[in-house]
Amino acid sequence: MISRLAILGLLTVANVMHAATTVLRGPYLQSATPTSMVVRWRTDTTEASVVTYGTEKSKMTATAKAEGVSAEHVVQLSNLQPGTTYYYAVGATPLAPPAPNAKEVEDGPGRPGISSFTTPPLPGTVKPTRIWVLGDPGTKNQQQANVRDAYTKFTGQRATDLWLLLGDNAYPEGTDADYQKAIFEMYPSYLRNSPVWPALGNHDGKSANSITQSGVYYDIFTLPTRGQAGGVASGTEAYYSFDYANIHFICLDSHDSDRSNDGAMMQWLKADLAATRADWIIAFFHHPTYTKGTHDSDKDSDSAGRMNDMRAIFLPVLEQAGVDLILTGHSHVYERSWLIDGHYGKSVTFDKAAHVKQATDGRADGTGVYRKPRARTPHAGEVSVVTGSAGHAGGKNVPLNHPVFFLSLNEVGSSVVDVDGLRLDFTFLSEDGRKRDWFSIVKE
Amino acid sequence: MKSLHRLIPLLVPIVLSAHPEIDAGLSRLNPLIAARPDDAALYLERGRLYLRHEAWLEAEANFLRAQELNPRLLGLARAQGELALSTRQPESARKLFGRELELQPDDPETLVLRARAHATAGDPAAAIRDYDLALLRIASPSPELILARAALGPTPPEALEVIERALSRLGPSMVLELRALSLEESMGRHDDALRRVDRLTATAERREGWLKRRGDILSRAQRPAEARAAYAAAMAEVERLPAWLRESPDAIRLAAQLQQRLNSSSPTQP
Repeated sequence: MISRLAILGLLTVANVMHAATTVLRGPYLQSATPTSMVVRWRTDTTEASVVTYGTEKSKMTATAKAEGVSAEHVVQLSNLQPGTTYYYAVGATPLAPPAPNAKEVEDGPGRPGISSFTTPPLPGTVKPTRIWVLGDPGTKNQQQANVRDAYTKFTGQRATDLWLLLGDNAYPEGTDADYQKAIFEMYPSYLRNSPVWPALGNHDGKSANSITQSGVYYDIFTLPTRGQAGGVASGTEAYYSFDYANIHFICLDSHDSDRSNDGAMMQWLKADLAATRADWIIAFFHHPTYTKGTHDSDKDSDSAGRMNDMRAIFLPVLEQAGVDLILTGHSHVYERSWLIDGHYGKSVTFDKAAHVKQATDGRADGTGVYRKPRARTPHAGEVSVVTGSAGHAGGKNVPLNHPVFFLSLNEVGSSVVDVDGLRLDFTFLSEDGRKRDWFSIVKE
Repeated sequence: MKSLHRLIPLLVPIVLSAHPEIDAGLSRLNPLIAARPDDAALYLERGRLYLRHEAWLEAEANFLRAQELNPRLLGLARAQGELALSTRQPESARKLFGRELELQPDDPETLVLRARAHATAGDPAAAIRDYDLALLRIASPSPELILARAALGPTPPEALEVIERALSRLGPSMVLELRALSLEESMGRHDDALRRVDRLTATAERREGWLKRRGDILSRAQRPAEARAAYAAAMAEVERLPAWLRESPDAIRLAAQLQQRLNSSSPTQP
């Protein structure tokens, strides 16, 4: 009798486990604002979407839900406190309060446990901020994993406040299956704990259309179109802006949106730049303004002129508005400029005397950090960084000889930006964890 | 009969300045085509690869081969239409997009492409029809698409209506608001423009620019006292900025413009 019951019990448990929904993707964090967070995840069957959350692991009493049932779960948490850590769990029903002395809910196969995130502080707040920057990561290969692991070791217990994807996030076609392997299975813990802000690359663009805002990229990401995360409403997820502490981030679509001087993206950019009060402006997009890596920004035919457009049309507007840092990918190398301004032509027109604002290496332990006035000053200089090797590097025969760059490396790696008040520190970290470049910008 | 120049790109291995995406695409597609030479979809894909990189001749050759193998292949006429549009043949393009739409009548991307072809061919009425159909079918059309449709009017009030419909359907978009504002101003609808500016000012992180614009609209509307009040409010906003922003060249320039307007609209002036 006992053995019969035991067998019956085992069968019942097996049935429950078999019937349980599996989380295939996520949870991942989107469109972070000081008072809201979008939590997304995917399950293998349709069910309700519920996030249970709270500021203490043992007191997760608040819930947020989405309407209806779905396998693609998108839940917005609202009325959060700025700069506050929240613990959360996703599921079809609210998470039951833990019994006294109960074991913490841990990850199981296809069943994520309790995760956490910290909401951004109010705009303008001075807060040490760590940003991880990945350009062209989505190869799904060991190098991509090495880059991730090198950063994990580098950052240690220091939380990643946000991370940027500079496009070509999932090779080769930016399909849903590509994203599953290249992003969701590659960075699960970062996705759960830090909001990710992507840009559209040419490979993502093979499965997405910016004009209709349709396709995989637009299905996967929830991005601020209404200016809800700071900045001016773009009305599109193709390009957008957001604030974090005293930094204003601008994401442009260098691949698939109108890049003309009087196009919608340019009109929005000008309005957005005019509106910000942030100390720092960081712009990111896929196609570099300068490169001599696996692409050549001097060739009009390379990437159908997109690099030319970003350099000749958008860069003057960004520099006029006092942009501090421009992050791009596309070229699978690392290239970093001096503090520069006003170079909008081909590389032969680069004149170091005219275009380099400060010909130091930008290093406190070198010939000196870059210094800019705090007052928002047009053409005070920016540093352009091509960091497009988070998944692979350029192989052989990359010239790496664009004169605008202080340093060019044909190496796999990712970049880290640390902002603390009026100081910005930048590090390029190779896949084996070495600091291969670094510089600082100080405003005074 | 095919001309030789159209066949060459199919027969000769092409090296396009060692472009990495083309290289990678060709390294994947060429062996597949060699293994399955009668697979029209592979030629279409290779043609699209060339099309993206503006290698027109190679794109055309691959599309023609795909057409020989399967004239009703989904996406083929659209790709040929894109090629025609890119090479400034809008009449051919709209016929080709029409052919695609016979196969996929509800495809919004092809409708948008045909609308562009109609507009380029000088047929705005047909372009408007296709844009309107596309807008009905697209859940979240981009501001570019709304502006392209609005630009066809045919009249400023109709253009404004297109934008207003989009704003109420899709939510805020600064680019659409700015276009609506300039249309309202061009039509002399000053009160509408002022209401829009007030709404934008209320949600703006920096209000000084919007208040100046308010003053400019009021000046054009021959309402000097109100204009002066708006300029004064803008100046007060500039003065309230933190020093590092107030001392920026842009803010200094704006303050100078506001001062000049205040001086020229002085109530003591005759």
